[in-house]
Amino acid sequence: MTDQLVATATVAPGGVSPARRPGALATGLLVLGALVLLTAFLSVTQGSRSIGLTEVIDALRHFTAVSTDVSTDDTVTTQLRVPRTILGVLVGAALGVSGAVLQGLTRNALADPSIMGIEAGAALAVVVGITVLGVTGIQLHVVLAFIGALAATALVYAVGSLGRDGATPVKMALAGAAITAGLMAVTTVLLLTDLQAQQEYRFWQVGSLAGRYAPIVTGVAPVLVVGLVVGVLCGRPLNALALGDDAARGLGVSLTRTRIGLFTVVAVLCGAATAACGPIVFVGLVVPHVARAICGPDYRWILPYSLLLGPLLLLGADILGRVMGGDGELQVGVVLGMLGAPFFILLVRYSRLAEL
Amino acid sequence: MLTLGTAACSSDIADSSDAKDAKVPDRPWEFTDGSGEVVKLDKAPTRIIAHGAEAAALMAYGIKPVGIYADEPVTTDPNLKDLDLTGIEILGEEWGSIDVAKASTLTPDLIVADWWPAEKAHSGFEDGVKAKSKKLAELAPVVGASQGDSILDLAEGYEDLAESLGADVENSQGSKDKAAFEKSRDAFIAAMEDKDFTALAVSPASDLLYVANPEYAPELLDFDRWGLDIVEPDSPDKGFPYWENLSWEKADKYQPDVLMFDSRSIITDKKTVQDQPTWNSIRAAKAGQIVEWPGFWLHTYGHYAVALDKLTEELSGLDDLIGD
Repeated sequence: MTDQLVATATVAPGGVSPARRPGALATGLLVLGALVLLTAFLSVTQGSRSIGLTEVIDALRHFTAVSTDVSTDDTVTTQLRVPRTILGVLVGAALGVSGAVLQGLTRNALADPSIMGIEAGAALAVVVGITVLGVTGIQLHVVLAFIGALAATALVYAVGSLGRDGATPVKMALAGAAITAGLMAVTTVLLLTDLQAQQEYRFWQVGSLAGRYAPIVTGVAPVLVVGLVVGVLCGRPLNALALGDDAARGLGVSLTRTRIGLFTVVAVLCGAATAACGPIVFVGLVVPHVARAICGPDYRWILPYSLLLGPLLLLGADILGRVMGGDGELQVGVVLGMLGAPFFILLVRYSRLAEL
Repeated sequence: MLTLGTAACSSDIADSSDAKDAKVPDRPWEFTDGSGEVVKLDKAPTRIIAHGAEAAALMAYGIKPVGIYADEPVTTDPNLKDLDLTGIEILGEEWGSIDVAKASTLTPDLIVADWWPAEKAHSGFEDGVKAKSKKLAELAPVVGASQGDSILDLAEGYEDLAESLGADVENSQGSKDKAAFEKSRDAFIAAMEDKDFTALAVSPASDLLYVANPEYAPELLDFDRWGLDIVEPDSPDKGFPYWENLSWEKADKYQPDVLMFDSRSIITDKKTVQDQPTWNSIRAAKAGQIVEWPGFWLHTYGHYAVALDKLTEELSGLDDLIGD
C-alpha cells in the first residue's frame, strides 16, 4: 500500500499513470454522480412539510412562478426546495473542490477555508455592513460577504508571501491564522455594542441552506459554476506542487503564478459559498480526505471526486436536519458540526491520512 | 462631585417622605423579595442601583437610583429611552456585563432587580452573566418583584417597593399612570368583548419562524385574560421553551386572526417576511393583520397604558374571522 502510494506519487505529475485503475475510478465517479442525483431528488421531495410525490411532480410541471393563487405545497416545492437543492449542490461542490485545492496548495492536511481568513473576512464584511452601513437583508449580506472573503484572502496571500522565499505553505498557514484572529477581534468589538446587529449576524453565522431563495441562487450560481470548472482542471499544477517546491520548479512550474492562480480559485469558490450560506464547517476539510482515501494522491481524480462528494455530504446533512427537526429545522451547519467530528475521528483512525 | 450631587438628591426624597409619611429613614426597613426572602436593613436604603426596567418603575414614583445597569444602550431601551437620566451613573449597556468597580464608588445600599423564578436568580445575576459582573451582589442586598404570569405583578411589586423606600405614591406620576392604565385595560376588555380574535406572536428570521409561547410572556397572558385569545404553540423547543421553531415550509401551521410582531423589531421583521415565499400562506399575513406586541419588557403602568391603547386601536377594524 505504502509502496504503491510512493510509486504513484512520483509518476502522477507526469500524467503517465493515475493512482488506481482509471476504469474503476471512472465507474466510481458515475456511481457518485447517480447518488448526487438521488440526493437532489430527496431534497426536493423531503422536508419538514410532508408533500406527496404527486403534488411535487404537479408543482414542478407548472413551474410558472408568477401565478397569484398557488397552493402552499406548490410554493414550498418550487420556491423553497428547488433553489435550496441547487444551492446545496453548488455550494457542496464548491466547498469540496476548494478544500482539495487549498490542502494541495498549502500542503497542509488540516487546511480548511476557516484558517485562511476567508470566513473571518466574510463575517467582518457582513458585520460592518450591518453596524456601520446599516445594510439589512440577506441578499446584500451575500454581496458584502463575497467582497470580504476576497479581500481577506488577498491580504493573507500578501502577508504570507512577504520575505525571501515567497508564499511557502507554513507562512501561508501562519498568516491565515493571524489575520483570522485579527479580523475576528474587530468583528467581536463591533458586535458587542450593537444588539440588533448581533441578532442579524447570529442567523448568518450559523451556516444554513434555508431562507436562501431564487435571487441569491441566481446571483451566486454563475460565479460558482465558473469557479468549479476552473477548479476541477487544477489537477496538474497541484500534482506538481505536491512534489515540493524544488521539484515543481524543476518541472518548469512558476511557483508564484501557480500559487496565485490556485489561491484565486479557492477565494472565489469558498468566498461565494460562504457568502451564500454563511460559514459551513467540515465539508471543505473532510471531503478531500475521503476523496484522497478513494483515489490516492493524484489530484486529477481527487478534484472530480471532491466535486461530487461535497454535494452528497452537504445536501445529505441538510435533508437530515430538515427531517430531524419536527416542524422546525436544524441548520445544516449544526448537523455538520454534530456529524462531522465523529466522522473525522473515524476517518483519521481507520484510513491513516495520506501524507501531503 | 457627582456622587455628592446624587446623594443630596436621594436624601431629598427621603426628607420629603419624612414629612408626609410615617416612614422615617432611621427606622428599620424590610422588604419581601420575589424569591420569598425577607431583606432587613437598619434604615431605608437611599442609594439604589437598579436594573434598567426596574429603574424606570421606581422613577415613576420619584425614587431616583444612583446607578443603572441596562441590557442594551439606554438610548434604545424601551423602558429608559424617554427618561431623564442626568445624574445617574450608567453601569452597563449590554446584557451580562456590569461595571462593578464603578458601581462600588457609588456606595449603594440596595440593588433592585427582577427575580426570575425559573432561573432562581435576579436580573444581572443569571447564568451567562460574567462572574466579574455578578460581584455587584457583594455591594448591597438585592431585591425585586418576581417575574410571573402577569405584568401587573411587576408593576404592583415596584409600587410597593417604592412606597417602602419612602415614596409619596399617591401624589406621584406612577399613580396617574395607574389610573390611565386601568382605563386602557377596561377599554381593551370592552373592545375584545365584541370580537373573537385569536392572535399568534411571532419573531421571523431568515431561516426559521419563531412562535412565542405565552407561558413565558406575561403580557401575552394578560391579553389572553382580557379577551384576546393567544394561540399556544403545541411543541415549544425543548431546550429553549420560550419559542416553537417552525421551518418556513411549515409557516402555515397555525392560522390565527392576527399576527403580533415585537414592537422593538417590527420594522426589520416586516422586511424579513417580505422575502419569505410562504409568509402569505398565513391568511392573516396575506390580509396584513399585523399588530405590535410589547414583548417581554413592560414593567410600569405608564408604558402598559400606552401599549394597550395602541393595541386596542390597531385591532379595531381587523377581521376576526380570518383564522381557524
